[in-house]
Amino acid sequence: MSLIRRISNLFSRARVDREIDDELGSHIELRIEDNISAGMTAGEARRDALLRFGNRASTKEKVAGMDAALALDSLWSDIRFALRQMVRNPGFTVTVIFTLALSIGANTAIFSIVNALMLKSLPYPQPERMGAIFARITGGDPFDGPTWIDGSQWEGLRDNVPSLISAVSSGMASGVNLQAGQRIQYLHAGRISAHYLDVLGIHPAAGRNFTETEDLPHGPKSAILSYGLWRTTFGADRNLLGQSILLKGEPYTVVGILSEGATTPLNADIYTALQPSRNGEGGGTNYAVITRLKDGATWQQADAELNRAWAAWAEGRAKRHPGSQVTYYSVSLKQGQSAELRPKALVLMLAAGFILLIACANLAGLTLVRMVRRASEVATRLALGASRWQIQKQLWLENLVLALAGGLAGLGVGFAALHGLLSLIPEGFLPVSNVPLDGRVLAFTLLVSVMTSVLFGMLPAFATRKVDLRSSMASRAVAGGDRLRLRQAMIAGEVALTVVLLAGAGLLIRTLVHLQTLPPGFNAAGVMTAKASLDDVRYHDPAVFNKLLDSSIFAMKRIPGVANAAVGLTLPYERALNDSVTLHDGQEAGQEVGTDEVYVSPGYFDTLQIPLLQGRDFSGADRPNTQPVAIVNRTFAQKFFHGANPVGRTLNKGLVIVGVVGDIQLSSGLNPVAPLESEETIYVPAAQMNPQMLTLVHVWFQPSWIVRTAGPVEGLTAEMQRALASADPGLPFSGFYSMNELQAETLSTQRIEVALLSAMAGLALLLSTVGIFALVANMVAQRAREIGIRIALGSTVRQAMVHVAGTGVRASAVGLVLGLVLCMGALRAMRSVLYGVDVYDTTTIVSVVLALAAVTLLAASIPVLRIARINPATTLRDE
Amino acid sequence: MAKNDLQGTLDLLVLKTLSQTGRLHGYGIVVHIQRASDELLSVEEGSLYPALHRMEQSGWIASEWALTETNRRAKYYRLSPAGRKHLLETEKDFESLVKGVRAILRYA
Repeated sequence: MSLIRRISNLFSRARVDREIDDELGSHIELRIEDNISAGMTAGEARRDALLRFGNRASTKEKVAGMDAALALDSLWSDIRFALRQMVRNPGFTVTVIFTLALSIGANTAIFSIVNALMLKSLPYPQPERMGAIFARITGGDPFDGPTWIDGSQWEGLRDNVPSLISAVSSGMASGVNLQAGQRIQYLHAGRISAHYLDVLGIHPAAGRNFTETEDLPHGPKSAILSYGLWRTTFGADRNLLGQSILLKGEPYTVVGILSEGATTPLNADIYTALQPSRNGEGGGTNYAVITRLKDGATWQQADAELNRAWAAWAEGRAKRHPGSQVTYYSVSLKQGQSAELRPKALVLMLAAGFILLIACANLAGLTLVRMVRRASEVATRLALGASRWQIQKQLWLENLVLALAGGLAGLGVGFAALHGLLSLIPEGFLPVSNVPLDGRVLAFTLLVSVMTSVLFGMLPAFATRKVDLRSSMASRAVAGGDRLRLRQAMIAGEVALTVVLLAGAGLLIRTLVHLQTLPPGFNAAGVMTAKASLDDVRYHDPAVFNKLLDSSIFAMKRIPGVANAAVGLTLPYERALNDSVTLHDGQEAGQEVGTDEVYVSPGYFDTLQIPLLQGRDFSGADRPNTQPVAIVNRTFAQKFFHGANPVGRTLNKGLVIVGVVGDIQLSSGLNPVAPLESEETIYVPAAQMNPQMLTLVHVWFQPSWIVRTAGPVEGLTAEMQRALASADPGLPFSGFYSMNELQAETLSTQRIEVALLSAMAGLALLLSTVGIFALVANMVAQRAREIGIRIALGSTVRQAMVHVAGTGVRASAVGLVLGLVLCMGALRAMRSVLYGVDVYDTTTIVSVVLALAAVTLLAASIPVLRIARINPATTLRDE
Repeated sequence: MAKNDLQGTLDLLVLKTLSQTGRLHGYGIVVHIQRASDELLSVEEGSLYPALHRMEQSGWIASEWALTETNRRAKYYRLSPAGRKHLLETEKDFESLVKGVRAILRYA
């Protein structure tokens, strides 16, 4: 048989059937001819021929079955049969596809994120040769994770680790102002060392990377533009290379323009040379490292060289922290970037897996019931000669078709869920630029669908292996006790998983509520803030800076409705500058301690209504040439003065403490324990900042202008911008933030965790409810006859209802207990993300138990209401 | 050791018949085997046709529609080169099967 004929056979089963028919028919006709020539009558001849041929239909099937090419065709007809079955049971089909769509959708969405975070390679050439550096600290305060480095470490890395091409950057983009023509534009600038783009494998589309000369301290000022900035702001001007642009108030020469689509981990609009050194910011660990392994080198070599290069540094560290050892090692850049999000993503993946298991338990229950209903159909087909293999094949195929349909719907749900999820996540939260539904995600969804079909198809398929021909056909099968217990066990299992998810979500909600309701330490109502970048050569001069603050605050106080105005380097809920001061008192005298440091204008505490506890506030009389003063917060006073009055004491060389203010909540930076806490802080007058410090802090931080209004003010932000413009026409605000927005931003991780896990827990609860409902509803349907008899024998309707609903309630109760036991182990893993709430939180556990009890009762009682309508006479007559 | 299955025997009979007669339809094969074996062997249609189609799938025989002497359309089968080779092997296998069975019968 030619190949073409075989293939064409696939499309016309009818033609092949006809051909076989013709062949067998001609056989019979030939026999008849012979019979007639042997002397039989026409009738006898035909009868004899047919008799000798035997079962023509069965022979035909066997012949068709021999046609290997037709196996596919029979598969297609099985699929059509499966589709017809689906259409015939719309309720069943819709329930299954809906369940699958939700559970597979959740898995698809979460997996897309896991894929983007952990599996997809970085968009750079040879990403496996790119690394980040981790520190492993043992003894003392153990730590294992990404490390930032200082200027001396950078020199060691650059000069003494020949296996790597290394580069450092500012780690995150900061805000700067660019003047192009008359327009002043606020941009995100990344500061990168020479070779940074080489490590990433990026070659500018035009021009070049920064040279080593440009990367020296006080080197020439040059800039590399992103493609987007070059297009939008400079109109894709090809002559821009070599020209100078006005950035941060001074001319920078454009030396390179990145190609379209080229991104860096900093994701900035414009890049300037970092010019790292041992002084200034290089005196602390403020540089982020990326590396690329050179050809022919190995990571082991690189790590050995690295630890040798930093030996002196590690020794110095060991002296400061006795008993603590540090070793450094390379990890892939991918891993380095997603280190913090990785465990969270895995927990979510696990939760999504739970959802899938719960869905499978429900679906197995549903298909099991359906199989019991179809037992007589199966028995009939067995009796008509179908092999058990054929029946099994058909059943598995039906499952697979359902699962694939569900998978397809799940893909849609997943896409929508992912879209919603990404809109929830603030920009820059994920270290990847986009989360695609790529081939790997599609493959995952397909795999999950197939796996699901195996999982939920397994039970019913095994159940039919025991179908007994005679009993199934003769009687309407009554669900056996075995099968009921099996379903109850599955319900108990899914309820147990639901309990774990509910408790997990509950604990996260309690954490978020705890953090959101912490006493803020100031009055957030009626406060509006605005940030502007002062990373500008003009404001390196303290006199100009002070004039800007004085006149802009003066102008803002004159806005109608504004009660007070002030400026501070950072705000409550934000992360503050970490600095160190030398103590002169108590046991720690002479010791340098870490503290948060905030410069503020006079009136900062009044404006935010942070209470002054002791001493005095700053005033306009604290000027650059007067006594340097500081105000400490309560935590600082308690930690370093142990209850003694700190007012009048000195810090560093002659910095006099003049007051103590109350604590405020801020994003922790010194020793992060919780996302929001009060840390030791010193406040200094903005007017007394020295020029080096002023330049340095404005590279990292954009100060905030704060106004307090009595009520909502129409056009407040426009008025604020106008007030700033009256002091400096060329200074735009980069953004306006209410205190609630700042709080929400700081707690965004917690909010996302709560949203995701709550959605999953809700989904699990919904699925479990459906499961319990289906179990009880099915009991009612199957046992209508038995219930009728019971009622006829004197049982009350109520007793019958309790009896049937009890099956669901008991299963759920067992699941609840099982789930609580599971919680004891599983929730301990959550300890690191819980604040202000214990792992075994009574409120959470009670809420979970109550929620589950409520939905169980609801799911079990609605279907049993039908029992009231059972008429014993009708059910008995039905026999 | 030869492949001593009896299913192979039907294949052998069919292939041998086709090698002797050139080309033949299914009915002709039944009649031929019956006559050639002096009515000792009769092939059942229920086994013959699946076997014919299976062998066609294996490429041992090829088929075409043609008219009989009585002007009736019938599907004719003939041996392919691959089938001829297979026939030789099957014949050898069968010889050794028969020898083996004989030996056992004599021994008993």
